[in-house]
Amino acid sequence: MSPGPRRRRLSLTLVASSADAALVGSGQRNTNRTRDWGGLMARAQDGDRLAYRALLEDMTPYLRTLAARCFKEPSDTEDAVQDVLLTVHAIRHTFDPRRPFGPWLVAIANRRIIDRLRRQTRARSHELKMSAEHETFSSDAANFHSDELSADSAALHAAIAALPPDQRQAIGLLKLKEMSLKEAALASGRSVSALKVATHRAIKSLRKLLRQV
Amino acid sequence: MTRTPDLIDALVDCATPVRRLRPPLIRAMFWLGFAGLVLALVAMGHGLRTDLTVRLYQPGFAITTAAALVSGILSAVAAFVISLPARSRWWLMLPTPTLAVWISTIGYGCLTDWVGLGPDGFRIAEELRCLALLVLTSVPLAIALTVMLRYAAMLRAGAVAAMGGLAIAAITAAALSLFHDHDATALILLWNLGTTMLIVGIASLFGRRVFWTASQLLTSQPGVRTR
Repeated sequence: MSPGPRRRRLSLTLVASSADAALVGSGQRNTNRTRDWGGLMARAQDGDRLAYRALLEDMTPYLRTLAARCFKEPSDTEDAVQDVLLTVHAIRHTFDPRRPFGPWLVAIANRRIIDRLRRQTRARSHELKMSAEHETFSSDAANFHSDELSADSAALHAAIAALPPDQRQAIGLLKLKEMSLKEAALASGRSVSALKVATHRAIKSLRKLLRQV
Repeated sequence: MTRTPDLIDALVDCATPVRRLRPPLIRAMFWLGFAGLVLALVAMGHGLRTDLTVRLYQPGFAITTAAALVSGILSAVAAFVISLPARSRWWLMLPTPTLAVWISTIGYGCLTDWVGLGPDGFRIAEELRCLALLVLTSVPLAIALTVMLRYAAMLRAGAVAAMGGLAIAAITAAALSLFHDHDATALILLWNLGTTMLIVGIASLFGRRVFWTASQLLTSQPGVRTR
């Protein structure tokens, strides 16, 4: 008689005792493909890589189900699953085969998922979603050209052009191209302090020039 | 992003045999044994207080010291138990009764002593020696506990660090009572409650980072780095 297709069970099978673990450890498995994860972990702790692979592969869909309840994005879910797998690997020596595997795994999974959710919340509180209008580039084509803006821009460019060459270069690199001091020093071949002084003087001169306009 | 099957391959490749942790009670006993050794060494180096036999007959002193010692032992047991996954948070309540006894007795004792002694109760030189003794006792205990509980970085780092800090602080306070001559000063309250709060506070704030660093330093898994 053919057993027919069976659904793979994702629920945890808990080990009642070390005797059960040894039974499973000896290679006897249920015909319905339900594996004893506690027994597999006990063997993995002893260095049985096949058992370890079977365990990790078996529990991944279960962990994915747990994580999917908390994350909308599939990539976040997968990251959480990987986090749990890494933690299980790092602290697999803390599993005691005399105790059930299910609560051990779920405690780790919950902790990792909660940590990830907290990190996400923290990161989101510092981030601001930008719309396309907020984006701008230094090239002319990407900038808006209203009359008022272009008048201001023309006055500023004229004032910058009137600056001495070293100050003009410092303003161009540090303020217009938004380079860091180190990058600007590398690009211009001048020292950081020289650039700082030149920028300071340039801004003073620009203030004077723009006041006159 | 690494694919999960690739990650499983990597984890399986470096799955060397691991030694299972002993039960938490036994590990707590190891740490308490080490604490006993440190206290014995400090006792040999510094000597017990001269009036210890007289003081031990005074109920207030005996209760405070015993309560501090038992609080330390119970906090250490709680720290080791809750450092493992899936252990009940109720273990955090284990040292509460003795902690309440300890804090209430030192609080009352100090208040009456301070009122009795007045400003003379504050002696800088004595207190500096006391501070040195405190550091000498608590630092080795803290290092040992951090090494033994480093895996807690990935689980309940804050709670474990707080319990561990309480264990260290309580044992250090008990040690000070046995070694330090002048417990009848206002600063005893500061040493006892102040150092307890300081150590527990530092442990709670930086516990995760300290455990994390310890786990990264002491665990070398080629090719796999957690988080």
